[in-house]
Amino acid sequence: MATVEERIKAVTARILKLDPETIKSEHNFTADLGAESVQSIELVAMFEEEFGIEMDEDAALSVETVSKATEYITNVCKEQGVDLEK
Amino acid sequence: MTRERKKHRLADSTKPNLLEGTFPYSLPPMIRLEGPVTEYIDGRAVEFDFAAVKDRNILISDTTFRDGQQARPPYTIDQMVHIYDLMSHLSGPNGVLRQTEFFLYTKNDRETLDRCRALGHKYPECTGWIRAYEGDFRLVKEASLKETGILTSSSDYHIFQKLKFRSRKECIEKYCRVVDAAFEAGVRPRCHLEDLTRADIEGFVLPFVDKLMEMSQQVPEELSVKIRLCDTMGFGISFPNAELPRSIPKLIYKLNRECGVPSDRLEWHGHNDFHKVHANAATAWLYGCDVVNTTLFGFGERTGNPPLEAAIFEYIALKGDLCGIDTLAVTELADYMRSIGLPIPDNYPFAGKSFNTTRAGIHADGLRQQEQIYNIFDTEKLLGKPPRVAITDKSGADGITHWVNEFFGLKGKDRINKIKIHRLARWVIDQYEEHGRLTAISDQELEQKTKELLPQYWEKHKPNN
Repeated sequence: MATVEERIKAVTARILKLDPETIKSEHNFTADLGAESVQSIELVAMFEEEFGIEMDEDAALSVETVSKATEYITNVCKEQGVDLEK
Repeated sequence: MTRERKKHRLADSTKPNLLEGTFPYSLPPMIRLEGPVTEYIDGRAVEFDFAAVKDRNILISDTTFRDGQQARPPYTIDQMVHIYDLMSHLSGPNGVLRQTEFFLYTKNDRETLDRCRALGHKYPECTGWIRAYEGDFRLVKEASLKETGILTSSSDYHIFQKLKFRSRKECIEKYCRVVDAAFEAGVRPRCHLEDLTRADIEGFVLPFVDKLMEMSQQVPEELSVKIRLCDTMGFGISFPNAELPRSIPKLIYKLNRECGVPSDRLEWHGHNDFHKVHANAATAWLYGCDVVNTTLFGFGERTGNPPLEAAIFEYIALKGDLCGIDTLAVTELADYMRSIGLPIPDNYPFAGKSFNTTRAGIHADGLRQQEQIYNIFDTEKLLGKPPRVAITDKSGADGITHWVNEFFGLKGKDRINKIKIHRLARWVIDQYEEHGRLTAISDQELEQKTKELLPQYWEKHKPNN
């Protein structure tokens, strides 16, 4: 079963048209991975779809790195009762 | 015409002259008039002083519930009461929008009138409208109105072909009996000279108005007859030296100065069949007719009437002051009318959704530098509508989200956040990056794509029109 970070990397690779293997935990979505304005909101929207959650717009868009996104989404899943093991 | 060549010297400057006396931005551009205007009437030069309009007590009247309603399915009583309430806000404490008229024929007509009057607004005053039948006058009495319009058609098209009078004399006698009935009941009659711009002015209209003036001398001033000049088919012509019966200057001169109808008892009622409707109404003001009759957003029989909101901005421009008018009520009225199904074109001046939306990229750039470059006046202050720029690749997700929320009319916590509009944002970006588009995206395109890409929001919030 894929981990939260692996799922985030897969979504990020699909939206930004990157090889998932090149995406690192410490990568910054904008500076390192090249996410432009609209791609940032597409990433948040696709994370919501991937995990079945609703994220706060400002909070989600202020997350800068893959590892911070993992942490943030894990917390949101817990708060919203989403079982990550399934 | 002589050819008077003249050299013009450049007034070089390093600072702009923005002509702020005429274009104050906080108000509509001023209409500044100077010098007399000459009209040749019966072979004689007659001068008119347009600049005097600034000090004359010109006014606006309304027929949204009469002529305006003849062109659409009936309003409900609640709708008319709400519109009347908003018109009162627009009018302001000085009553620039002085009167509005009501049908009196049905139970609903009378209930509407009662409920509007129950709001307790001073302006617009409520008046009635009846045919020239003595029997109809009972309705005016029962409604306790101080003034009513009476249909007194003036062209032979109406007199002979519609109303089937055997002679003009018979027609005038009939009209005068109804006017007498008004006087007897203590109600001021307002004679609507229907089809005036197609009438025999010297042979019928002026003798009839002479008679009305004679009759008016026998009653107190507050009952004296008012005259509405009805350009029923939009035949009126505003420019100098046109011939009767189409010449607005000559019609007003004849009624005002030859028949002696004071300016405050003359009212212009136009139609837009030849795209002249607002200019004709403003012309009537300038030549000595104090009142122009209008409908909200020009909605009226066939091509419509002088738009009320156009007269409002013309009034401010002529007076150089808001005169107590609440111009923001124009936008409230437009929003309300749209919500009940009245179609207002997007590019319709002052009230259309896109009346101050700039589309060309080069204009948008001007707007970004300083909004006055491509905005007619401070539309945010006067209409609650800041100038807009149509969506392009430069709009960003924020701009697109703003458009969506404005389109659906969502405010505060009801606004859709930009995460939810990502598919529409992607479509916009792809138009430029993938398809090489160079033009702005129209509201119509965005509306269609919103329906397609954001169906859940479309179903929930789609506008009525």
